[in-house]
Amino acid sequence: MGFSTRQIHAGVTPDPLTGSILTPIYQTTTYVQPSVDEYMTKGFTYSRSGNPTVRALELKLTDLEGGVDCSCFGTGMAAVQGVMLAFLNAGDHAVISDVAYGGTYRLCTKVLSRFGVEFTFADGSDPSAVAAAVRDNTKLFLTETPANPTMKCSDIAAISEIAKKAGAVHAVDNTFLTPYFQRPLEMGADMSIHSTTKYMDGHNATVGGAVISATMEHGDAVRFIQNSTGSIMSPQVAWLTLQGCKTLSLRMDQQSANAMAIAQYLEAHPKVEQVAYPGLESFAQHDLAKRQASGYGAMLWFEVKGGLEAGKKLMDAVEIWSLAENLGSVESLITHPVTMTHADVEEAERARVGIIDGLVRLSAGLEDVEDLIDALGKALDQV
Amino acid sequence: MSHFYHFDTLSLHAGQTVDSEFGARATPIYQTTSYVFPDTDTAASIFNLERGGHAYSRITNPTVGVLEQRIAALEGGSAAVCTASGMAATFCAITAILGQGDHIVASSQMYGGNISLMKNTLPRFGITTTFVDPTDVEGFHAALQDNTRLVYGELIGNPGLDILDLEGVAAICAENHIPFMVDATFNTPYLCRCFDYGVNITIHSVTKWMGGHGAAIGGVVIDGGNFDWGASDKYPTITDDYAPFSGINLWEEFGPSAYAMRIRAEAMRDIGPTMSPMNAFLLLQGIETLSLRMDKHLANTKVMLEYLSGHEQVSWVSHPDLSAHRSHALAKKYLPKGAGSIVSFGVKGGRDAGKAFIENVELASHLANVGDSKTLIIHPATTTHSRIDADALVAAGISDDMIRLSVGLEDVADIQADFETGFRAAKKIANS
Repeated sequence: MGFSTRQIHAGVTPDPLTGSILTPIYQTTTYVQPSVDEYMTKGFTYSRSGNPTVRALELKLTDLEGGVDCSCFGTGMAAVQGVMLAFLNAGDHAVISDVAYGGTYRLCTKVLSRFGVEFTFADGSDPSAVAAAVRDNTKLFLTETPANPTMKCSDIAAISEIAKKAGAVHAVDNTFLTPYFQRPLEMGADMSIHSTTKYMDGHNATVGGAVISATMEHGDAVRFIQNSTGSIMSPQVAWLTLQGCKTLSLRMDQQSANAMAIAQYLEAHPKVEQVAYPGLESFAQHDLAKRQASGYGAMLWFEVKGGLEAGKKLMDAVEIWSLAENLGSVESLITHPVTMTHADVEEAERARVGIIDGLVRLSAGLEDVEDLIDALGKALDQV
Repeated sequence: MSHFYHFDTLSLHAGQTVDSEFGARATPIYQTTSYVFPDTDTAASIFNLERGGHAYSRITNPTVGVLEQRIAALEGGSAAVCTASGMAATFCAITAILGQGDHIVASSQMYGGNISLMKNTLPRFGITTTFVDPTDVEGFHAALQDNTRLVYGELIGNPGLDILDLEGVAAICAENHIPFMVDATFNTPYLCRCFDYGVNITIHSVTKWMGGHGAAIGGVVIDGGNFDWGASDKYPTITDDYAPFSGINLWEEFGPSAYAMRIRAEAMRDIGPTMSPMNAFLLLQGIETLSLRMDKHLANTKVMLEYLSGHEQVSWVSHPDLSAHRSHALAKKYLPKGAGSIVSFGVKGGRDAGKAFIENVELASHLANVGDSKTLIIHPATTTHSRIDADALVAAGISDDMIRLSVGLEDVADIQADFETGFRAAKKIANS
């Protein structure tokens, strides 16, 4: 069946008791067992260990990513943490994309480093740089592509090969493109990670995360951490995310089309220094982006001539675009990564990987693209 | 099970059978519009009311259904229908049996919304109301007309707090084959089960004490199952064949719950004032602690009554548990645990001092609700009862200096300390 059919039906069957076409919200802590000997026969014991509503979302995401299992988490960061705790022990080493969400960088450098795990932040756009980072104790590769916020793309298949040779697992943060546009497991990755807060929900209503695994062995390892550390998703969040998933392809198509039109507009604007969007031919890795994904997503960034000061003026002046963290929602958002999403990445490291001070990040929403462009144009006029 | 367990047990368990699919201990929230039918015959029989089952969430919903059964069990009724608000419950409860040319006899001391419905809205559809003093039982008898089809009142009048003599009015109703409907919001079934005294239908704004947390708006109509609709030809909506459902006769098919079924089949289907499953879930949570909360509401009220009665800035205090209240004897009879947690009092210095009091308390919230877990205060003359004229204000027992207090569940010492701040501000106004 096609993606759009599966995004609506996968994981959800009519409630056998009432016929309810939607999965009920099982807002419950515990499950009454038929008898001591029949413990767990209905599949659920305690809502930290599993919940029917959350399970429905896990099954849907498993299907959409083409995996064999999924564990949902309370946030995207909890999902990243779930993967790291599942596959990294003290003394182990991991290779992480050198451009990634600031929270991922912070988890590695400020939290897991305290437990004796070592990290190398390698340039994922250059497979040889990734291969060069491998050590004897490398156990995990985490690739974020396109990367937040520079949009740098990494070759999923090439890094999966490197990981396989190193005997390590390869997890891809697929938040920016979703399985509708990019399918990491089919390119050899072992796991796909999502902040479901973004496109899966799509309406700025929930925070959540998910890890979809290609094998039961990896799926079980992540589920063990989900239950042991307890950073689970709530049934209400799962239910809202189930609704969001039903329009995922529609939103991705339209938001990406909006992003492309905005990128082209900005590229031609005399006050704009540079624009980065994987769909533009001028984008450094346009060919890779085109090859490994069926769409370019709704994230882009640009720099206003005049750098940081001009960018700030624009972000304060622009209408419709909300100055906010988060991305991927139907509402268009504008973000200044250096002071917001990536404030915890040291200045030197930001400079090294190209997160420049004047970088203005855009998450194109579902508004009429004419209105979005008009708002940016008026704000640029004021710079 | 409702006939074998006590109140607190019912408030936790009635209406819920543990989810058969997974055993979920809490009631699942069926946030769904529709239900997939196993086959066309089943679908047709559900539509025709030949069998129970869910078709569409405007009419029934499994989560809302648990709440309906739980409230029916607590009230001791045959069936209940939940609605989107208390006002929707009142409207549906009345229009299920009354139509053009019919007449209501109602207490003059009621929630302003109920008065407005009967005085302003229902007359547009040819339903008229005569309002009578709730302390004069004979007045209900005297107001009856040939076309009277309903007698309506509140056990604890709002905001005058006069107690309606349920047995006295019920006797008049029974004699004349007219159902007696009571808005039981202020008492809840924990303080008084009105059906025990001959009331035939109760309605609640479950937004108030039943839910108890100020989190969800909702209403309910409960069928007492104790009215003989077939004893006269005055109630054709119950006793005549109902054409939209293949001519089903509700009275013959459903007997003691025929009235509730009429609301389900007509109001919920054709008008659609449906309670959301999410609200039903929140309200179920609230009902689980109904008796605990009511006991604390009453204990705090008792302390506040003593405090206010002895306060130099208070000109008067009204509550049926005070021996000076004119309904004190009736309160002891119908509300032996206590006559609710609404208190009205006057602040010395009149309207302006009352205003200063309200503006200077902090803990007590100034808003148009009652029965929250938090202490609430309001000035009825300018808010809840502002759309009724001066004469009706007097009839409803509302004075200009009146403050209505809904005593919450806070530590009562903190409520008193908060009131002290308010009274100091009121005193300045009164002395200036």
